[in-house]
Parts: sequence; C-alpha cells; structure tokens
Amino acid sequence: MSSAVATAKQSSQGNTSALLILLKLRTFIALIVVTLFFAFMAPNFVSVANAIIISKHVAINAILAIGMTYVILTGGIDLSVGSIVGLTGMVAGGLLAHGLQLPMLGVIIYPNVPEVIGIALLVGTAIGAINGLLVTKLGVAPFIATLGTLYVARGAALLLSGGSTFSNLVGKEELGNQGYPIIGSGNVLGIPVSVIILVVLALIAAYVAQRTPFGRKVYAVGGNERAAALSGVQVDRVKIAVYMISGFCAAVVGLIVSSQLVASHPASGETFELNAIAAAVLGGTSLSGGRGLIGGTIIGAFVIGVLSDGLVMMGVSEFWQMVIKGLVIIAAVVLDQLQRRLAANSRQG
Amino acid sequence: MKLVKTLAALALGAMAGVALSAPVLAQDGGLMVIITPSHDNPFFKAEAEGAQAKAEELGYTTQVYSHDDDANKQNELIDSAIAAGAKAIILDNAGADASVAAVQKAKDAGIPSFLIDREINATGVAVAQIVSNNYQGATLGAEAFVEAMGEEGNYVELTGKESDTNAGIRSSGYHDVIDQYPDLVMVAQQSANWSQTEAFTKMESILQANPDIKGVIAGNDTMAMGALAALEAAGRDDVIVVGFDGSNDVRDAIVAGKIYATVLQPAYRQAQWAVELADKYLKEGSTGMDEKISMDCVLIDETNASDLETFALAE
Amino acid sequence: MSDVVLGARAITKTFPGTIALQDVDFDVHAGSVNVLIGENGAGKSTLMKILAGVERPTRGTITMADKPVSFASVRDAARQGIGIVFQELNLCPNLSVTENIFLGRDLTRAGFHIDRAAQRARTVELMRLLEHEIDADALVGDLMIGQQQIVEIAKALAEDARILIMDEPTSALSASEVEVLFKVIGELKRAGVAIIYISHRLEELIRIGDHFTVLRDGRLAAAATRDQVSIPWIIEKMLGSGEVVSRRAPAIPAGPAILEVSNLTLPRRGTLLAVDDVSVSFRTGEITAIYGLLGAGRTELFESLYGLRPGATGSVKLAGTELSGRSVSRRMKAGLLLVPEDRQRDGLVQNLSVGGNLGLASLRRFTRFFSISKADETPLLQQVIRQLHIKTAGPDAPITSLSGGNQQKVVIGKSLLTEPRVLLLDEPSRGIDIGAKAEVFSTMRDLADQGLAIVYTTSDLKETHAVADRILVMAYGRITADLRAEDATDEALVRASTLKLDEPAFA
Repeated sequence: MSSAVATAKQSSQGNTSALLILLKLRTFIALIVVTLFFAFMAPNFVSVANAIIISKHVAINAILAIGMTYVILTGGIDLSVGSIVGLTGMVAGGLLAHGLQLPMLGVIIYPNVPEVIGIALLVGTAIGAINGLLVTKLGVAPFIATLGTLYVARGAALLLSGGSTFSNLVGKEELGNQGYPIIGSGNVLGIPVSVIILVVLALIAAYVAQRTPFGRKVYAVGGNERAAALSGVQVDRVKIAVYMISGFCAAVVGLIVSSQLVASHPASGETFELNAIAAAVLGGTSLSGGRGLIGGTIIGAFVIGVLSDGLVMMGVSEFWQMVIKGLVIIAAVVLDQLQRRLAANSRQG
Repeated sequence: MKLVKTLAALALGAMAGVALSAPVLAQDGGLMVIITPSHDNPFFKAEAEGAQAKAEELGYTTQVYSHDDDANKQNELIDSAIAAGAKAIILDNAGADASVAAVQKAKDAGIPSFLIDREINATGVAVAQIVSNNYQGATLGAEAFVEAMGEEGNYVELTGKESDTNAGIRSSGYHDVIDQYPDLVMVAQQSANWSQTEAFTKMESILQANPDIKGVIAGNDTMAMGALAALEAAGRDDVIVVGFDGSNDVRDAIVAGKIYATVLQPAYRQAQWAVELADKYLKEGSTGMDEKISMDCVLIDETNASDLETFALAE
Repeated sequence: MSDVVLGARAITKTFPGTIALQDVDFDVHAGSVNVLIGENGAGKSTLMKILAGVERPTRGTITMADKPVSFASVRDAARQGIGIVFQELNLCPNLSVTENIFLGRDLTRAGFHIDRAAQRARTVELMRLLEHEIDADALVGDLMIGQQQIVEIAKALAEDARILIMDEPTSALSASEVEVLFKVIGELKRAGVAIIYISHRLEELIRIGDHFTVLRDGRLAAAATRDQVSIPWIIEKMLGSGEVVSRRAPAIPAGPAILEVSNLTLPRRGTLLAVDDVSVSFRTGEITAIYGLLGAGRTELFESLYGLRPGATGSVKLAGTELSGRSVSRRMKAGLLLVPEDRQRDGLVQNLSVGGNLGLASLRRFTRFFSISKADETPLLQQVIRQLHIKTAGPDAPITSLSGGNQQKVVIGKSLLTEPRVLLLDEPSRGIDIGAKAEVFSTMRDLADQGLAIVYTTSDLKETHAVADRILVMAYGRITADLRAEDATDEALVRASTLKLDEPAFA
C-alpha cells in the first residue's frame, strides 16, 4: 500500500513537472499556436515575404519592449516611450525638412542624415535620463514621473510643427541630407534594416542582461533593492541607466516609424507604451521586478505582432482585434500566476 | 524677482495670444469676431483666414480667437465678444452640447452667431449652421474611384475611427456608389483610426493577404498617405488611391501622379460664405436661407490639384 | 593594545527625537571574537551599522591601524576589510547563490564580461569551507532560511574580510549548522580575522566570546574579557538596576480559566512556524506577561487568537465557546479584544476626536435609528475617561492633543467599551514615557481586579516582574517557560527566551 501511495505521489509529481515545463514555454507555444492557426485561416500567411513584413511590424514594438523590459526588471515602468517615439520622429523630420534654425545668427544648418539620427537618439536618451532623475533623485513614483513626461514629450512634439506633419522627408541633394528613408524601407540581402536593428539590439540587450555586472545589478535592484544597496550597488545609477536605455530604444523606433512613412506626425506612437508593456508581460516579465528575459519579451512581441497582422489578413474587424488581444494578455498573466503557484508547491512538496 | 518677471512675461504673452489680431482697420461696418478651434491645424487656420479676409473685404473690423476645443475658454471668448459689442460671431464650436449655452448667451445679448464646420445640438439659437456635406463628398470621391478603376477589380477600404460619426458617413457614401458595380470587390476593410502609422502597417499586411488589389479608398488623407507609403515600400505604383480632406500632402501626391484623387472640404470658402450670410443678415434682417445649410465638397484630382492651397481652391 | 584592529571612540548617533548611541567606546581585537550584548534597543544594531558603513556616526572617531577612517558606504567599508552578515537576510531571491555572492563586485574579463566559471569555482570553494552542500547555481529564493544564512556568510567572506560582523548569525540555524559556523569562526580566528559577534543566546556567547562589550540604553555599560565574565554578570550589566514601576498586588484571587488555547499553529513563509503548537490557558483576574525577543512569535500568537491570521490552526475557546474559524467581529462580540502594538497605525484614527476614537469599536451601543445618539454616547465616554484617568479636555478634544500614554489609554478605553472579558495588549508600554507606563500598568491592574483576563507582551524584562502575576516566555514560536512571577528569575527568563526546544523542521 505504501508503495502504491509512493507511486501515485511520484506520478503526480511527474505530471506537475511536465505541466511546469509547458507553462514555462507558454509564450513560445502560444506563438506556434497562433502561427499555425493563421497558416490555415489567413490567405497567403505562409510566405517569406509575409514573414518579413510581420518581422518589420514586430520590430517597432519589440525594440520598445526591450527598453521597457529593462525598466520593468528594476521594478519600474516607462509610460513615456510612445511620446518619445512621436517627439524623436518630429525632431528628425524637422531637422530634415527645415534644418536647425538659428535666428540669432541668421543661419539655417542642415545636418546630414547620420547627424540627424544622432540628435534624435540623444533627445530620446535625454528624456530617459530625466525620467530616471525624477524617479531616483526626486523620489517620484515611476508611473507618475513617466506619465508626466508622456504629456510633456507629446506636447513638445506638437509644438515643433504646430500640430502638422513634416512630410516628404527624402532630403535634398544640394543640402546633403538624403538617404533618411533607408532606415525604414531599406533592405540588406532582402532583410529590412529595421529588422536588422532589432536583431542587433536584442542580442546586445540579452548579453548585457545576462553576462555583464550591469545586467546583474538590474536584476538585483528589482529583486531586493535594499540587499542590492547593501551589496554596494549604486541603485540610483542603475535606475537612471535603465530609463535612458528605454528612451534610447524609443528614439530608435521614432526614427524607424518616421522613416517608413517618409513623414513624421506628432501623434505618432500613441499607445505604443501599452503594446510594449504587453509584450514584456506576455514574455514572462514580472511587473514587480527582478524576473524576465529579453528573449521572452521578443517572443511576446511576436505573439502580439502575428496576432495583429493575422487578424488583419483574415479581415477581422478592429473591435474584435482589440477584444482578442486583451484576452491573450489576461490569459498570459493568469498562466504566469499558475506557473508560480505550481513552482512554489513543487518546491515545498 | 526673476521668477516674477518671467511670470509677468508669460501672462502678457498669454493675453497677447488671446488678442491675436486686435482690431486692424477702423472701418464702418463694426466688429466681427471669428472663433475657431486652433490656429495650429491648417484646416482651422484656413477657416480663420477665409472669414477674416471676407469680413475685411466687406468693411468689418475683425478679432480672431481660438478656443482649443475647450468649451470653457469658448465661453469666455464669447463673453468678451459681447463686451466688445460685436455685430456678429463666426464660430467653429467646441462641442455640440457644450456650446449651446454660449451661443444662446450671445443671442440674448443681441449678437447673431454663424456656425461653420460643426453643428450644435439645438436649432433656433444660431442664425446659420453651415456644415460640409460629408456624404455628398464621399459619393464624389467614390465616383472618381469607380471611374479610375474602370468599374471592376479588387479594392481595399481603410476607415476612420469607428466611433467617429464622420467615419461612418464617409464609408456609407463610398459604398452607396461603389456597391452599384458588382465587379468592384472589396477584399478587405480595416479601421486605421485616422492614423498614418496604422494605415501603413495594416496596408502592408493586407497587401500580403491580397496581392491582387487594384485600388485603395481611404476615409481621410492621412490614411491615404500611410497606404501610399506601404504601396511604395512594396514597389506597387499601379494601385489607385483616393483620400478625403484635401490636405497639401495629398495635393502634392496627386500632382506627382501617386494618388488619384481626394475630396476637399472647402474650409476657406465655407468661412467666407458664413461672413457673407452674416453681412446679409445684418443689412437685411434675414439670410434668406434655412438655419441648417449643407455645403458641398469639391473633388480634387490632377485637373485642379495645383490650384489647391491649405483648404482653399483658387477661383 | 597592539591587537586592536579597529577602535571606536566616543561614538554618538542621534536620530530625530532619539539618541541611539551616546559616547560609546568599542575595541575590536584581531584573531578573537568580540561580543556585543544588550537588550532590544540598547544600540547594538546602530553601532554595528556604523562600523559596516550603513550609517554614519553623528560624532566620534573610528581608527584602524592608528589612522582615522570613515566609511562612506557598505562598499567602502568592504574595501577597507569589513564584512557584515546582516540579521535580516539581504539577498536577492531571484538570483542564484553565485550571483548573490558576487553582486556588486563581479569578477569580469575586459571589465564587462562576467567570468561565470571563476565566480562559480570560488562559490564552490566557499561552500566547501563552510561545509555546506549548496548548489552554486540554485536560486536563493528556493533555499531554506538556514541555507540562505550560509550564503550570507559566504558573501561576507568572499572578499577576504579582516573584520567580520555577524548580527545574530545563528538565529535561523539548526544545532548542527551552528556547530559548522563555530568551526568556521574558529578557523577565521586562527587566520587573524576579528569577529564582531552579536547574539542574544548567552550560552553561545560564553562559549565562543573572547572580549565582551555590554550596551544599555545607548551607553556603554561594561567591557571585559572572557575570564571576567559569567552569565549572571552579563544579565546584570544588560538590565541595570532599579524598577520602572512599583508593583501593585492583585485585589482578588485569580478566577477560573476563561481563554483556552490548544495546539495553535501558524505557518510562516518558508518552513518555519511563526506559532508552533501552543497550548495555554488564561484566567480571569490575572495579568499574564509574555516575554520574548523580537520575532519570537508573540504578535503572531495574539493575531492568531484574534482571527487576523487565516492560516492559523488549532482551537481557541472563550468561556467554553469555540472561536476558531470565526471572524474578528464575532470574536469581539464573544469578549476577546486585541490592543495592537502600533497604535498610530492600527489603533487610532488621527482625524477623529478623543470621543470619536473611544466609541469607534462600539457604535452599535449608542446607535438609535441609524444615527449616533449623543445622549447615549456622552455618559459612556465620560465614564471611560474617568475610569482610565485619561487626561483630556473632554470627548471632543482632538486625539493628537493627547500625550503618548493618554493616547494608549484611549486605545484601551476603546476596547473596554466593547465590554471585553479577555484583553490582549501587544507591547502596551512601547514608545511612552515612564510616568505614562506606570499609569497604563495601573489601569491594567484595575481591569484585572474587575475580573478581566489581561495578557500583554513585552520585550523589557523589568516590565514583567513589575506588573504580571504570571510570566510566559516565547522563543521560536513556542512557549519555553511558564512561571509564577515570584518564581521567575531574570536568568531563567533570559535563558528561556533563546531556548530552542528541539531541531527546527528543516534540519
């Protein structure tokens, strides 16, 4: 009898661990499931061209989500990324279309495209630094601090053009600022430049998170801020750095989006922050900090991207698309809780 | 001390902003106050400029304000118009319900209001309410689209924000025309929420699912521009695109042969008409027309695109 | 003395409103165990935090090798050879053992690439030194508390500390783990490391201590070497002399048992039990003190009795009625009441008047047709104010106008209006001055004489003798002593407060 009990216990433990593995891989499984679903349901879904288009669409959200993951890992949140996308796009667009106007000197400087890119990235990173300083030095809760910069950056974007679009950003030969559309619509060996940017950023971000002291500190701050501080981690610096990373990523996206459209619109990037948070959470990042992987976030972004594109290709209406996306996010969080509870139980048993 | 100075400067700046253009020329006709949502948006700017030009041409002095879609600010502006003894108010209002009381207040003070672009949810308060006929405009755009398509082929429709009335009116205007031609097949219909970015990504996906499309009809010009960017990225210069609004971006694209047509809401002309009606009302005691006036839209294609400048069509 | 590696002179540390340390001298001897002793709040932790670079002294100097030093941060102190094992675990549960040990000072190649192999090897080496089979890659959150403590020690050792501060390192360890730790301490001593050792377990101190320093109320009470020290000596220096309040004898003999508790158990996070199989009963007319160190489980016991801890199991009977599984309000109606420790947070509503606070728990008594009847309320409130000698301008005075002791009496008065039969008071004397303490204790005696059963907790040994008829001692969630007040010696109580009855569950 006792051996029967033991076997029963063992097999139930076996079931638990199998279930645990399935739950750990849930995002990846979800990606396979939605891909298979659309492969059967959506016309022309399975093709190299479509895979490239989807990757291009995912890149926008995934790059934002990389920065967001860093912030969330420290236990923070960055709501300003969507506005930074809009503002940096407008900065780039304004510089290309109208140059840098210095009325005091009576001159207009037209920076070339690499300089425009550099300035836009600098603006995004600087806003991130402001977020970080607000959160650390002034002790403003991350939600509030970045909500504030969300409005400020959006307002600044509108102010830059008085609300209108900077269009036809192809540059002029005589000004030496041609070539901007390459970021959004260029290809290398058939792969869009934006996808290449995503791959490079994701690899660097994953390496930094897993293999460098800085990455270790990010996880430590999110796991136990006090312990990190007592171990000599300069918590404030780590936090400021993650917001700067997030701002930088948002600026990259701002450049990609405006380059794709060859136009920058001040409202561009609205609600992008929510998609980025959703991707991170879908990928298993815990909003309370300390837990999550860049790889998971990228897969999470792909689940959202495949879902959106697939539903559009199937011709499902906007309203249903929203309902389905919401349900997927809720399901992801429920499964995450389930996995944690199971893991805790199996440790105690 | 420095702070005080800064604040004072800010306050002065704000006041100067409100009195954007103080009475320009002392002419005999009296004061006409023109209030529009903002001067940042080229559409509203065209309204303000149209009304101002016409009023001064007819011998009125003008004051031009913007309420920034803030019903409270609109209310204050109407108060100051009353205080300034305006003869008439030209208004693109800040909300169908929220504006009724303000317009009523002007009426009670003996000042007639002439509404443009948007209606209010009351009649008998304003003297005239001129709105663009979105439905008529949509049928114009759709007829041009059908002709360009040669009455056959697959097409895509990008609609505006689905909760917005104009999105629905324009879409039904399109379909009432297009659906008469059975060989025109709508293979995809998606909302891109008036957004250029969204129109771009959705158009790319739709192109994957339906490479055999011949045309795209969009609920506004921003979405038409987004769709155009996606088509260009895919190397498709053979697709017919039609938009709605008459923005300068789309005008340029029409001139360059990339977009087939758009529909102009004649903001400039509409504002001028409101001033003309006001002038007639002040002189004759009646506009001679119903309160609710629907103003037809104008089709813009390669024949007249070069005459278009910020919502005003050269005559 | 030449073997003094660190000397602290006239260290003073003030916090807003309190002086935590005043003119304390402390020498740390190389190759020996330097013991720091004192009651809760005597200033041990503050001194230790100053030496470890967590806090900076308000005044005073610290010298190492005859040179004045200062520590800007924990990292700074660590670089100067001072390691610390904190009492509360300071580990990141989401990181592995190796990652925790090297947090903040990763071994890297080219300055940015973490050398995982080297870190792992060093961790394995440290674990071998500590004789613990802890997987270097295991997540710290998955380890038992005892194992986490070992990781903390390994973390402190990893940097070749010359001075190692250990704050109650054995409080979560089993007997065999303690032996391993002592062995490690012995080896460190031979290697010339100075160890600063803080513990409440006197036997342990006598066994491994070389130099003893006793703190009392933020001042240096005594310093001596091993050969001059005994357990009675430590207790005497720790407690000092003089009574806080004069004792009042009970007016009536204790009555029958009214609150009977059997097999009460409350799990804590992890594997330890916060309350471990407690069976006890309390009698009417009797005042019982529960003495114990911080974290002994006294508050958890009270909260379990009161129904605030849904995880608690076991039986609680009040006058024969089973209460377990009942809600707080049902227990209140039955006549059980808890006066919480943190009266600012849990006991008082700052924006209400004295009367508003007093009446809050018994609004039912003076509610007529859904409204509060002033005519019914006022006499009751005034009666309580008189009964407890609450010094206030009247029921309408703001609660904030009262002194700490009177505020505490308002909390007790609020409880009395519900007409309880058993009153549980968690640290009723904390944070109030000595005169107020005397009044609160006198009130407790009055209530006992009226036939209530009074149970209170305290961390102050002197407050047990001064008030209670019966003294219980709690340690590690269990009751380790149950004595009549007249039979309880200080030594017996202190010993019982650190007593581990047997091995904890995880050993």
